[in-house]
Amino acid sequence: MSAPSVEKGIQFIKGQIDAPVASFFSACVHCGLCAEACLFFTETGDPKYTPINKVEPMRRIWESEFTLFGKLKSMLGMGEKVDEATFAEWETLVYDGCTLCGRCSLVCPVGNDISGMIRKVREGFAAAGHAPEGLIGASTRAVEIGSPMGVKLPAVKAQIKHLQQDTGLDAPLDVKGAEYMVLLSSMEIMNFPEYLEAIARIMKQAGKTWTIASKAFEATNSGIQIGVSDIAKVLVSRIVDAAEELGVKTVISPECGHAFTAIRWDGANLIGRPYNFEVKHILEVLDEFVEQGLIKTEGKEDAKVTYHDPCQIARKGGVVKQPRNLLNKIANNFVEMEDGGEMNWCCGGGGGVSANERADEVKLTAFNKKKSQLQALGVDTLVTACANCRLTLEEGLEENEMDMPIVGLTEMLAEYLVEDKKEEA
Amino acid sequence: MNDLTLGERLRQRGVSRRGFMKFCAATASMMALPPMMIPKVAAALEQAKKPSVIWLSFQECTACTESLTRSHAPSIEGLIFDHISLDYHHTLQAAAGHAAEHAREEAMKEHWGKYLVVVDGSIPMGANGAYSTVAGHSNVDTMHEVAEGAAAIIAVGTCAAYGGLPMADPNPTDAVSVEDLVTDKPIVNVPGCPPIPTVMTGVLAHFLTFGRLPELDHLKRPKVFYGQNIHDRCYRRPFYERGEFAETFDDEGARKGWCLYKLGCKGPTTYNACATAKWNEGTSWPVEAGHGCIGCSEPRFWDAGGFYQALSVPTSDVGSTILTAGAAGLAVGAAAAVLNKKTKGAAVANRETITIKDLSKES
Repeated sequence: MSAPSVEKGIQFIKGQIDAPVASFFSACVHCGLCAEACLFFTETGDPKYTPINKVEPMRRIWESEFTLFGKLKSMLGMGEKVDEATFAEWETLVYDGCTLCGRCSLVCPVGNDISGMIRKVREGFAAAGHAPEGLIGASTRAVEIGSPMGVKLPAVKAQIKHLQQDTGLDAPLDVKGAEYMVLLSSMEIMNFPEYLEAIARIMKQAGKTWTIASKAFEATNSGIQIGVSDIAKVLVSRIVDAAEELGVKTVISPECGHAFTAIRWDGANLIGRPYNFEVKHILEVLDEFVEQGLIKTEGKEDAKVTYHDPCQIARKGGVVKQPRNLLNKIANNFVEMEDGGEMNWCCGGGGGVSANERADEVKLTAFNKKKSQLQALGVDTLVTACANCRLTLEEGLEENEMDMPIVGLTEMLAEYLVEDKKEEA
Repeated sequence: MNDLTLGERLRQRGVSRRGFMKFCAATASMMALPPMMIPKVAAALEQAKKPSVIWLSFQECTACTESLTRSHAPSIEGLIFDHISLDYHHTLQAAAGHAAEHAREEAMKEHWGKYLVVVDGSIPMGANGAYSTVAGHSNVDTMHEVAEGAAAIIAVGTCAAYGGLPMADPNPTDAVSVEDLVTDKPIVNVPGCPPIPTVMTGVLAHFLTFGRLPELDHLKRPKVFYGQNIHDRCYRRPFYERGEFAETFDDEGARKGWCLYKLGCKGPTTYNACATAKWNEGTSWPVEAGHGCIGCSEPRFWDAGGFYQALSVPTSDVGSTILTAGAAGLAVGAAAAVLNKKTKGAAVANRETITIKDLSKES
């Protein structure tokens, strides 16, 4: 364990340069289309936020270490150096000015996964000691306490108790052989307990066995956001161990964007083997339940609603049609936001930005995109499926004095469930 | 009606804002402008007033007009076309005889110094211009008269641009191109037999947007459309690189879509946008249909050797030369890859595991 340093940072970035990264840099035609796709560029107009520019330190290292011309250039002392100043300058672009939303990767005409490269370059910035304080704090709490917001098991137990008292429903802890293991995000435990209640009601009606693991109730993964695979692996392993110990069939990722990316896509690669269970997003599970007739809804929302696609769930996760199926079942007046679905604009707070206080200002500037989209639509209610989006949107709306309720899709669905016969009696 | 801006006019025709913006984006990318320019293109086009256009047809076959104005559905390009004020056009105008000539004279008088002149066809100089006359005036005289008050001249089609078929050996009418005749006006050549419709609308859009003509190459062609040769943009190029050629039009190679170079394709010496813009609303283009490029947008293409004669026949066996070169390249590439793997491998091997204690500089 050595102290963070520039050399270490460069070493880590070198370790991240693989064949895809090399071909991405070689293939970039400098067309600038990624700038137009990035809300940090469109809302600030500052070209430094051009996505491909955010990985410039990595490009310099690739050029000087992996290309013939670059090697010649650095031999002649002509190459551009990566030093302390570079890390300091790019730190705010790599962490504050990117939500890893992936829109740039989707528009790149030569198919460069720019967002994936930014995730990779963060490895080097964290190793060089240039990760933002907010994210270091969150990661530390996640590893030491078990949750980035410092939520401990007693808090979960307290919420379960509330649930039992208020509704008579149960949220079983550590049930071996349950079909589903439900994960929660800290924000759902602390800010949006409606989620837990909704799950309890839905699972009851669907007649499914489920459980929460006391060793791994937390779904979020700060390691993914700060860009340290070692930490991400520690956090993912907790979930994998708990799920395999309890022998569950399916792990349900909650209404949280990056948690889904972490456990569904990155997890198996981090631990280096396939899981013995399936991972699904809650919206995928709900859509299945509705499809199989396991849950029934009654009545429909009359207010004009729209859906904000969380980037990690829609663009990176492919969960696009499920929320629409569900919303059309329970809302009379559902309208699509412009660019809805896989091209949706980010809320501005993903990828660790909301955990990084330094980025507050640019985050609110970036929110202007969502603001103008919402104003153009003129909806009464905004539905989403990510607690972090929800919090960022609430903050943005409040800052702009826009009064609009934001609800999670799971809890909205739960409201329209046909009540069980027993409860009616 | 003439006071309406283009934007108002398009909306009257039921073209949505979205459709209009799509056209602007396509136009901007056709003109190789950065995406930031799309709103500027839109704003300029939105505000543009109908420019007066006088279309002169000389020694031509009307294919240029067919290509540029005949579209099945009123495509948005077609609408843009409708919304220039086409004050005189032999083929398209309703008026005939003296009324037609009168319309031309009126338009010239009213817009003196500002109107655009589009010319298709070459101009015969032989027999005092008697080979081609309209309303008793020889083409030469008309050209000189109309050019005098023009803001700019667009020579559409290879005949107007370079003389084309009428000028081909032995050039019986002593035909010349527009630029041979008019030397004191800005001229844009839009060659092709016929030219691609989008190229024409692109030049017009550029004029409407920026009030000036696009950047031209040494043959006065807009660089954005004629800057690259067909060969460099051809989707069959990889077969050329591998030395895989169709030898006849019905052999295995032709069926497999291999390069048509040996069958006389003039792609390597022809500068045009066919390979990227394609024809018939992007459906296909000659090479995609299985026939080599005949180089129709190049000067003197009729006299540039047979259409089915290869540009030059390689002296050695291209296939094996390319294979050898390829193998050598592969070896160099593999060596570089090994070196790079070492660089990365060293970085990974020396990598220390990071824990939360290693994140802050203070600790």
